[in-house]
Amino acid sequence: MLRSPARTAAWRLSIWTTLAFAVGTALAFLIMYLLVENSVRERTDSWLKGEAEVLSNVATNSAQDSLYGRVVEEVTEQAAREISEEGSEKGQNEKSIFFVMNAENQPTLWIGPEPRESFLKAIADARLKPGIPQSIQVDKQPLPFRVVASSREHGSGIYLGLIDHAANNLLDRLILRFALVWVGMVLLGFVIAYASASRTLSRVERITETVARIGTDDLGSRLPEAGDSDEISRLSRTFNHMLDRIQASVNQLRTVTDSVAHDLKSPVTWIRGRLEVALSDSRDSSWREPVAEAIEGLDQMAQLLNTTLDLAEAAAGALQLDRRRTSFSVLVKQLAELYQPVFSDHHHTLEVRIDGDIPIDADVSMMNRVVGNLLDNELKHLPNGCHVRIQLTESDNRAELRIEDNGPGFSAEVRDRAFERFVKGPHSSGHGLGLAIVRAVVRAHGGEVSIPGSGSQGAVIVVILPVAPRTDAPTILQI
Amino acid sequence: MRLLLVEDDASIRGFLEQALTEAGYDIDTAATAASAEALILQGKHDAFIIDLGLPDGDGLELIQRCRAKGSTAPVLILSARRSVNERVRGLEQGGDDYLTKPFALAELLARLRNLLRHAAPPPKETLRLRVGDLQLDFVRREAYRNDRPLRLTSQEFVLLEYLCRHAGRVVTRAMILEDVWQMRFDPATNVVEVHIYRLRNKVDRDSDQPMIQTIRGVGYVLKHA
Repeated sequence: MLRSPARTAAWRLSIWTTLAFAVGTALAFLIMYLLVENSVRERTDSWLKGEAEVLSNVATNSAQDSLYGRVVEEVTEQAAREISEEGSEKGQNEKSIFFVMNAENQPTLWIGPEPRESFLKAIADARLKPGIPQSIQVDKQPLPFRVVASSREHGSGIYLGLIDHAANNLLDRLILRFALVWVGMVLLGFVIAYASASRTLSRVERITETVARIGTDDLGSRLPEAGDSDEISRLSRTFNHMLDRIQASVNQLRTVTDSVAHDLKSPVTWIRGRLEVALSDSRDSSWREPVAEAIEGLDQMAQLLNTTLDLAEAAAGALQLDRRRTSFSVLVKQLAELYQPVFSDHHHTLEVRIDGDIPIDADVSMMNRVVGNLLDNELKHLPNGCHVRIQLTESDNRAELRIEDNGPGFSAEVRDRAFERFVKGPHSSGHGLGLAIVRAVVRAHGGEVSIPGSGSQGAVIVVILPVAPRTDAPTILQI
Repeated sequence: MRLLLVEDDASIRGFLEQALTEAGYDIDTAATAASAEALILQGKHDAFIIDLGLPDGDGLELIQRCRAKGSTAPVLILSARRSVNERVRGLEQGGDDYLTKPFALAELLARLRNLLRHAAPPPKETLRLRVGDLQLDFVRREAYRNDRPLRLTSQEFVLLEYLCRHAGRVVTRAMILEDVWQMRFDPATNVVEVHIYRLRNKVDRDSDQPMIQTIRGVGYVLKHA
């Protein structure tokens, strides 16, 4: 049986496993990234702090003349080149920034990219603490600047910042690799989880299939037992032990019913035989009637005995069936023909509708008994002059035999318990086993029988049986 | 005709021996598989009646052992089982027959006669069958009594044919169900009686000599004067 993978336990298991795995590895990568970033930043930061100190000294100690700006600019350029080894096609001015702020919060010296306003705004928003570098994202700049402030007297300050391309590149590459490795790991993890889960669960599926087959066919087969002792092998062994016990009790029941049958039937057989011999010998006609009645009584008793034992076996799932491919349509048609004159005698009309040729795998004599019992049942309960319809149809690989009449129908209390043993209608002359054996036999064939609550008057009984696969092999017809 | 009866139950063996002797057969009896095997292998019996449940072994194995040693006489199997398993059905296809207990003596005798007749060459196929003043035409599928057509349904014709082929011998309801309708089950309704009643209405209505007779507790017989 094929099912969509999304509905299997293997799929769900591997989804959840992969999800947990993905979250775990993502966290591990994040921690790793933060550690690496920290140590990379530390290098830049210590340089920034040192240079800011130097620049602060230079700015404080140099004369504020025309050379001041030039000196500071050179120092800054050198500093930036030191930290960032790779030559950038962009000018140093765009990678680094240095400015001095006076007490009125106006930049007095500016070396770095324009426009200044966005830098000033971003730095003012960041509320830098002196001596602690911070990454600041500036408007219209592709990358964040690492900026450090060092304060001077009178409330003014020196600000030094740069874009550390090397560190940014390193961290970007790190993120990209981490992401690629993470995606790969998660995919691989999912594949491994799904493969191992579906491999394991396919063994469970095999057990399910085997046990289902054992349940309906024979109790003799067993699950294969692997040598290892994992959970699923133990499951197989446990199932096999259970099947051993079921088979033992079924065999025991059959032994008991067989010996009961044998022990009771032997005396019935010879009593019947003796009576029959007496009947044929007897010249005295006053003897004949009671002897014939006794024989009929014995026959009824034997039939009751057989049915009771069959029911006992059926209740334990031990009914022995000789199933072979047969045509349900022919079987129903023949029984309808057999019963037709009896229905006419009771002034019933019997209507038979059979759709096509429906094959079933059935014990033919048991199935004859099922349909015969249902027709017997109609005859027993209907007042003369009713209409009985037998309808055999097939849909969705199920054969549906529907027998309905326009008689008084089932009373509510009989309907609910009609298929139980020894339950019979108020006017029934039978022993109340007819419908019980019908249900037992139908269920043993993998079908079901029911009395649908009909809105209209009359009784309806529906028998559902699985249709046998149609093959080219000839069906065994009963003609 | 010499028969061997293998049955461990003394009471059943007793009445069968009596009934079969009265029916004109010579009977040997055995109560165990071992003693039966020795008798079977003497090869002087025309048929065997063998109970499946023997104290010292399975009746089917006994049959198979004897068949392997060259015994060819037909077997009528007696079984206390309700359902008959495939192994027994296999024998049935081989020309042997089976009966489940309890059985009607008439049925046993009828089946025995069938078995013994099976062993003989089959009768020539005929187009017509005549029993007394009853005549069956198999080409037109019509029956006549004193040359007057009976206008039977096809089921009634098959039933009458069956009775005619067993004319003078008692047939049971089970035999009729099995041979005419191919059904081995016991209906609670008197279906066979109703069919016989209808047939009798057509066959015997206009005659002062009824041919189809009911033997109570046993079955039916078609007799001609």
